[in-house]
Parts: sequence; C-alpha cells; structure tokens
Amino acid sequence: MDATTLPPLPSGRSARVIFTGTRRDFFRLVRRGALLELITAGLYRFWLATDIRRALWSGTSVDGDAPEYTGTAKELLIGFLFALAILVPIYVAYFLIGIEAERAKAFASVPLVLFFYAFGQFAIFRARRYRATRTVWRGVRFWMSGSGWAYSWRACLWTLLTLLTLGLALPWRESALERYKMRHLYYGSLEGRFDGSGWGLFKRGWWLWLLSLPIITVPFTYPAYKAVLWRWWLSGIRFGEVRFDSDLRTGAMMGLYWAVIGWVLLVLIIDGIVVSSVGFAVLLLSNGEVGAGALVELLREYPYVVLGANLVNYLVVALCAGIVVRVYLVRGVWERVVTSAVAHDLDRADDVRAEGRPVSALGEGLADGLDIAGF
Amino acid sequence: MASTSPGSDAASASRAPDQPASGGAAPRPAIYFDGATNRRHIVALHFGPALELSEDGVAVASWAYDDLRAVDGGPGTLRLKCISALPLARLEVPDPAAQAEISARARFLQVERGGSAQTGRVVGWSLAAVTSIVLVVIFGVPFVAERLTPLVPLSFERRLGGMADNQVRAIFGGRTCANADGVAAFAKLVETLRQAGHVDMPLQTEVLASSVPNAFALPGGRIYLLNGLLQKADSADEIAGVIAHEVGHVSHRDQTRLMLQRGGTSFLIGLLFGDVTGSSAAIFVTRSLFDASYTREAEHEADAFAIETMHTLGRSPAPMGELLFRVTGAQGNHTIGILASHPLTEERRELMRQEDRPTTGPEILSDAEWRALKAVCHSTKAK
Repeated sequence: MDATTLPPLPSGRSARVIFTGTRRDFFRLVRRGALLELITAGLYRFWLATDIRRALWSGTSVDGDAPEYTGTAKELLIGFLFALAILVPIYVAYFLIGIEAERAKAFASVPLVLFFYAFGQFAIFRARRYRATRTVWRGVRFWMSGSGWAYSWRACLWTLLTLLTLGLALPWRESALERYKMRHLYYGSLEGRFDGSGWGLFKRGWWLWLLSLPIITVPFTYPAYKAVLWRWWLSGIRFGEVRFDSDLRTGAMMGLYWAVIGWVLLVLIIDGIVVSSVGFAVLLLSNGEVGAGALVELLREYPYVVLGANLVNYLVVALCAGIVVRVYLVRGVWERVVTSAVAHDLDRADDVRAEGRPVSALGEGLADGLDIAGF
Repeated sequence: MASTSPGSDAASASRAPDQPASGGAAPRPAIYFDGATNRRHIVALHFGPALELSEDGVAVASWAYDDLRAVDGGPGTLRLKCISALPLARLEVPDPAAQAEISARARFLQVERGGSAQTGRVVGWSLAAVTSIVLVVIFGVPFVAERLTPLVPLSFERRLGGMADNQVRAIFGGRTCANADGVAAFAKLVETLRQAGHVDMPLQTEVLASSVPNAFALPGGRIYLLNGLLQKADSADEIAGVIAHEVGHVSHRDQTRLMLQRGGTSFLIGLLFGDVTGSSAAIFVTRSLFDASYTREAEHEADAFAIETMHTLGRSPAPMGELLFRVTGAQGNHTIGILASHPLTEERRELMRQEDRPTTGPEILSDAEWRALKAVCHSTKAK
C-alpha cells in the first residue's frame, strides 16, 4: 500500500505543495482576532475562524494555483444559531433526564453521554462537508455525499471497539472512518477515495502504542503519532488517479507540540507572577494586613470586582493560549503537513468538470456548540 | 507555471508583458478558469468597454468592470470573479500593471471585502448582544427564578440535594457524628423548630465532624451543622437560633432559587462562549448549592424567620447573635454558609438584641440533652 514505493507513471506530472504564508502575518491576524474575541465576548470567533482558513488556503499552492476558501463568517454564525436551536432543548432535556436517571441508578445517564458523542461525530462529518464545499481550486469546488448519521454510528461502533481493545483497534478505526469520508469526497467530477489500510497504520505506529502505556510519555508519543498519522493519511489519499505522498518529519511535529507546551507554561508563569503581585498590592493598599483572612474579606466586600478581575484574567490567559495554539498547532501543523506533500499524476486532474453544491454550516455550528474539534 | 499551456499564441503573448506595459491596448496574460471545468486557459486581457478575455485570439469571456470582485488568491496575484458569470469562474492576474489597470476601472472590486467597517459592525452587534445578556442576567434571571421556584417539585429538589450531599462530604471530611444520645437531642431540637416554624417539609439533619464553625442547608430540606460551630456554642438557644435560620432558608426555598439563578446565568454566559452542553455550567450549579452566598434579602428573611420561630417558642433570639459574633469577631463575615452574608454580624447581633424578650417558654433542650448534643461527635466508645 505504500505509495512511495510505486514508480511514478511516465506521463505523471508531480509537484510539491508550497506554502507561502508567513508566520508574522498569521500572528498579527490571530493577535487581532484574540483582542476582538475578548471585546466581543467570543462572538468574533466566526470571523476569526474564517480569516484563518482564508489565510491558510490562499497561502497554499498546489501545482501553481492557490485554493480559495469561499466560506463566510455569516454562514458560520447562522450554522451556530441553527445548532443552538437544536442543542438547547436537547441539553435541557438531557439535564432533567440525567438527574432522574442518576437517581434511579448510578451510571444510568451514561447512554446520554453516548448520545452526545454520536451527535459530535455527526457534527465532525458535516463540518468537513462544509469545509469541502467551500474549498475551490481552479474554479471547481470540492463536495461531499454520504450521510452524517451513517458516519456517526460507524464512528461510535469503532470507538467502542477501540476502547475494548485498549486502543489496539485505533488504526482500523482511523482507516475505516477515513475511507468512509474520503469515498464520499469529490473534487468536481473526480471521485476521492482512501487507500490507506488499518494494517499499514498499525505497522507504522504500534511501537508508539507500546511507548504510550506509561501515560507520562504521551507528550512525546502523541506528536510522533500525529506525524505518523499525517504521513499515512496523505499517502492514502486519491482523487481519481492523482495521489500524494509525504516526507513529514516526526521531529517537525514534536517541535510544534513542544513549542506550545513551552509557551503555555511561560504564559501561566507570567500570569502567576502578575496575579500575585497585583493581589499583594491591592491587599497592602486596602488595609495593610496581608493573609488569607484579608483575602476573604476583600472577596466579601467587593465580590463583583474580584469576580470580574478573575474573569478578565482567565479570558486573557485563555486568549494568549489560543494565540499560541493557533500559531503552532493550526498554522504550524498546516504548513508542515502541506509542504511535506508531493502530488503525483496531476495531469489526471487537468480536465475535471464542476459538480456539487455548497451546503449549510450546521455541522460547524454543532461542533462549535458541542466544543468538538475534528476534521 | 505554463507547463500545461496548450496555445502557442497565448504563450508568446504571455512573454510580452514582462516588459513594462507599453500600450494600453496591449494584450496581457492571465489564467482563466471558466467555472465549468478546471482547465487552465491562458488568456490575453483587453481593456475595452468591458474586460475582454481571449484565448488564442478567440474571445472566451467578456466581464463588465462593475461586476468584478476581488477574491483570495495566492501572493502577488489578483484573483477575480465576475458576479454575472458562473459563480466559480475565476481570472488570475499576476501582472502588476494589469492589476493596476483593473483596480482603476473596476469600481466595486473590494465591496465584498468587509474591511474595518465590517469589523466595526461585528463589534457593535456583539456588544449589543452582550449588553442584552447582561441585562437578562441582572434583571430577567432573578425574576424568572423567583417565579419558577414554587413550581419546582419537592422531589426534584431532594434529588438535587442528594447530588450535592456527596460534594459536601468530600469538602468537610464527610464523617457524620453518630453518638446516639446526641443525635436524638439534635433531632428533638430540629423537630421543635420545624413545628414552631410551621414547616411542612420533612428535614434531614446531620452533624458533621468538621472543625469549621459553620452550618448550612441544601435543597430538599437537608441541614448540616458542623461540629466546629457546635463546640463554640454555650447554650442550646444559640444553636437553636442558627438552625432556625437554616430552616428559614429551607422554608423559603432559597437554595432552589439560587440554583435556578446561577444555572440560568451560567447557561446564558455559556451560550455566548458557545459552551451549550454546559459542562462548566453544571459544575457551577452544583458548586453554588452549598457555596451559597444568598442575597441580602434572603439573609434578612431567614433571620426574621429565626427570630419569629424563637419568639413562638418563647425563647430569645439574642444568643444566636452572640454566637455569630463570637465566631466571626468584630469584622465578621469570614466564612461561608450561616456566617456568609451581607448584613454584618454586628448589625445582626444588634437586631437580635433588639428582639430580645424574656424567656417564657420551656427550654428547648434539657441540660442533659444539651451535653449529649455537644458530645455528639465524640466517638461512641467514649460511652
């Protein structure tokens, strides 16, 4: 199955994917976005997500042409509002049933958690479908058929199997789900499919599974696993006869994840210093008496001021962490993954008819409402 | 980039504009995707009354300048769409001179790009949404909680109390004091207060072996007295006043009202941040059940209930005020529960003193019972 071992066809035109967006521009984009998120109590996230995707898509170049992201923030906002209309009644019912069920028997509410998990998988499929239909390359859009619920029950069964086998079934889960998603993905009239196999992923990653057993090694094995997963994923993708392979280095992924860990730790340390010095100064100014009692006193006298200060502090830290994650795990991973890819037999994608229609952003809204990231 | 170029004419045309634009009418190279297939058409641009695209000298499209819109393209490339053409038809113009020409003629090139005006609108509407939610939290939620509280069934309230009970035990060490005589004395005290206060709800009461001087209530009539407070008390009347205060909260269903209020508030805030499942909201709600700081009014009413109950029993509420003062000291208000409230302990003690009346009723607990209650947390082997 290893695509790299196949000799390229004589007629094949190969091209490495290029990424031209700079980290500095992206940093400015997400820094401005984080500030606006703070001002708008998070509502700017739809516009920021759209701007991020536009920057990533248009910064990439496949065979000399940049893909175009045609989605809009308004679509995401509407998708979110639709998702609210669906999720709020479900959530209220869930809360009430949960209390009753938990009372009747401990763990009786577990099926409800499963229900939300299934909903989340549905959202992941539909969110990918939205992104696909908003991706245009050379005047032709990507699109997806298939059903979100058909994907969802597959995902649930595979997750169950993975849990039962302590993670050993994970490669087969990944490949089965990716096959489902990819065989329903089209670039115009060109059908996508996925040729990666569970066994292929298992062979590449079984040693990482072993190394992850002492949980403490996960910060090292997880980035390595991601690198394996991306290489396997890229080399399994097919659009008609067009195929890809990837020379993504494990060290490149490791660097990104550890940069995130380092920066987030730094943010937390700085925040700890700032908060304790501000708290100390306030206590000194207020009554000259420092101690736990004085702190409680302050909380009692100005509960809203203290609460507000804590909230703002939390938001600032969360937004800083958000910037770090977006610079390294969104842009960084994107850059390293796409530039590791080489597309082969591109001439087989030279005369593709336009097909497919844009779909709504309901899936994106559900994923946002359920706090799920997935692709 | 021209590896696919099929037309030799176009290819030669594409070389010409590498020299600076000489004549306005000179054809300029660009890549055109017609939106029906993904084939790259190398086209020459002609700036006539409309933007004319020709491939190998054959006209392929004519785009009105007013219909041109800029969309995202690669670096240095102007990518255009035309709102009167197929939606995904695109023209890529890499040549700076041609880009300048188009920018000069196409008046609405950037209208779909939001820019700072759009950002301003987003910020404005978001602030309006935030203001609205804050107003609902401040005025709407307490009102709704007030109206909903009587509608919450008692059985439901008891379930909530049961859920919070585990957390209470986790925080305060959890051991229930079980010295039989003490438990009996406490039950008698609570039952006396319940009847005097005309509370229909059955009460579940426990003394917990914790050194924290406190007492508090959970929904569904659960009242906890912590041994720390019991040990600071000098008489049964002091403890009776405190328990009467908690019975007041139970009778007014303050915990349920507070829970509805906190739950509604965190739910609304969760909406803003997209946290609909309310994972954090749920935590907030259960925590607020016992980490309760009631409103000033709720505290005054619970105090009034305690005073009233003590008067009904012919006992004075003043000892309760003394006990609170003894625990908190002059500044008051260091801890949660019975002691955590906006009215300062001094004020409360003053109020209780004003309500002091000569005792007319019998002692709530006999001396022996009071001693047994004080010793309720001594392990049974002491007997």
